[in-house]
Amino acid sequence: MATKLKILSACYLTGVTFFLFGCDQAVPTAYQIPKETREVNMPMPDAAEKQAATASSMNVLPGMQQAADAAGELTYKTPEVWTEMPASGIRKANFRIDDDKGSAELTVTVFPGDVGGRLANINRWGGQVGLDPVTPDDLPTFTESKTISGHRGIVVTLKGETDSILGGLLPFHGNTWFFKLQGGTETVLAAKNDFNTFLDSVTLPDTHH
Amino acid sequence: MNPIFKFFASLRLTVVLLAFSMMLIFFGTLAQVETGIWKTQKDYFESFAVVWSVPEQAVLHDALFWLHIPMPGGYLLGGLLFINLIAAHITRFKTTWKKSGIFLVHLGLILLLVGELATDLLSEESQMPVDEGGRSNYSQAFRDNELVLIDRSHPDHDTIHAIPSKLLKPGKTIEAPGTPLSIRTVNYYPNAEIGRATNGQTADSPATQGAAVKMGIVVNPKEEVYSENTINTATAYIEVLSPEGSLGVWLVSNVIDDRFPPQMVSLGEQSWELALRFARHYHPFEVELIDFKHDKYPGTEIPFNYSSEVMVHHNDSSKNQKALIYMNHPLRYEGLTFFQASFANNDKTSIFQVVRNPGWVLPYISVLLMGLGMIVQFGIHFVKFLGKRSA
Repeated sequence: MATKLKILSACYLTGVTFFLFGCDQAVPTAYQIPKETREVNMPMPDAAEKQAATASSMNVLPGMQQAADAAGELTYKTPEVWTEMPASGIRKANFRIDDDKGSAELTVTVFPGDVGGRLANINRWGGQVGLDPVTPDDLPTFTESKTISGHRGIVVTLKGETDSILGGLLPFHGNTWFFKLQGGTETVLAAKNDFNTFLDSVTLPDTHH
Repeated sequence: MNPIFKFFASLRLTVVLLAFSMMLIFFGTLAQVETGIWKTQKDYFESFAVVWSVPEQAVLHDALFWLHIPMPGGYLLGGLLFINLIAAHITRFKTTWKKSGIFLVHLGLILLLVGELATDLLSEESQMPVDEGGRSNYSQAFRDNELVLIDRSHPDHDTIHAIPSKLLKPGKTIEAPGTPLSIRTVNYYPNAEIGRATNGQTADSPATQGAAVKMGIVVNPKEEVYSENTINTATAYIEVLSPEGSLGVWLVSNVIDDRFPPQMVSLGEQSWELALRFARHYHPFEVELIDFKHDKYPGTEIPFNYSSEVMVHHNDSSKNQKALIYMNHPLRYEGLTFFQASFANNDKTSIFQVVRNPGWVLPYISVLLMGLGMIVQFGIHFVKFLGKRSA
């Protein structure tokens, strides 16, 4: 009889153990599915298209649009060779610069808060033109301070191999304004003076003074 | 007879186990109020032991908070009942024609216990939302998540490299199958609140890439919740490693979903979408929702019918099928059962519960066996009785 009991309990235990540990194992898998129809911005080789992809891949969280709307409209002067594009969504202004070397695009956006801080934003931009992240000690080599609309901001020059970014960051009454000129390195660097003149001309809606 | 064997074969044990089962069902029902059906089922019925305490919302909680009642769980009771029944058969029952009815009833009972265990362990439930006029070829879990790298470079198909979220343990590195990449979990939160860093709050985040950096997203871990119709916002910081080294740390979360542009991971010419999402089951067919009906009694908001008219388009078109899914009329198709579960979006989206339960037929067979057993047993007695009377 004892043998029968042993057989019984052995059956029960093996059954339970097998089920508990045998069936429920999670493993990494790879499989193919039919092409999904969702629109995806794949990286594209052309500089102009790349900018379009980067810009539209800006994630808009609830509240961001409202913050952008509340920030008001800015005024500025631009060189004649810049083409003004319609502002849309969280972009406050948008320009296109074409020369015989290529093209570049300038976008002006505003976000509440410090958006992760100066270093994080500069590294984010650096990543977009293929630069390695920098440390706070490296910052002075890329940046110079600049007064924009009566407030202290900084200007960043990020020179990549093919693409470059000239950027302006301006903390302004709890928001951060971003001026980003991105495109082919030669076009961007050639537009440096125009970019600085543009920043000088910018007046932000200031309700605090 | 061996005393241990005698114990396991005794009718007294049966009675005690049945009493405990009733107790388990009673306290399990009470526990549902606090933890919802899913967790209760896990704690009480898919376990070996459980301790019941007074729910926090209960009136008597303040007076009885110290009360903890331990009791055997469903697996222990079910398992012991199973052993008890078989042991009883070995010792007491003789297979004779006179007892054949009881034998059938017991066989049905055993099958019911086995079937229940099979359902617990093998069945998979997921949900499939479909918009009117739209189609879907996958259903998604509502508790389990997966980290996916999606390669959309091929013109004909997408390749999905999926890692179940159960494997995302902080500090652990896992190779993403079929890619040169591996991922290291920096942190994993089963539930969290994510939002943007507000004024003065620094985005103290390990992320160096993707949406988190662009938007200064902060993560506040939260307690996991289990009640019905609530979703846990699974969130993780994931470092992606290439053979040459780290590509950066991304924040992924199942709320950063299809409404947002994808977060891309690139290595040389190749790139992948990185996302944490509810685990998906892709099917070799598409379900098209032709029409969803939500009928109410005239002049009231009280519903009397929800129904979904669907067309199933299979890769093998000979298996195409049209169906109307409504209360108590699920669609059984390719080993799956589609129930009308819910609806959303102003009655324009129907949500099906999709159940794969290989053991679904066992309870039906066991009930049939038990019914048959009872008829046979009563029949035998009845015939005997008639025989006595006529004698």
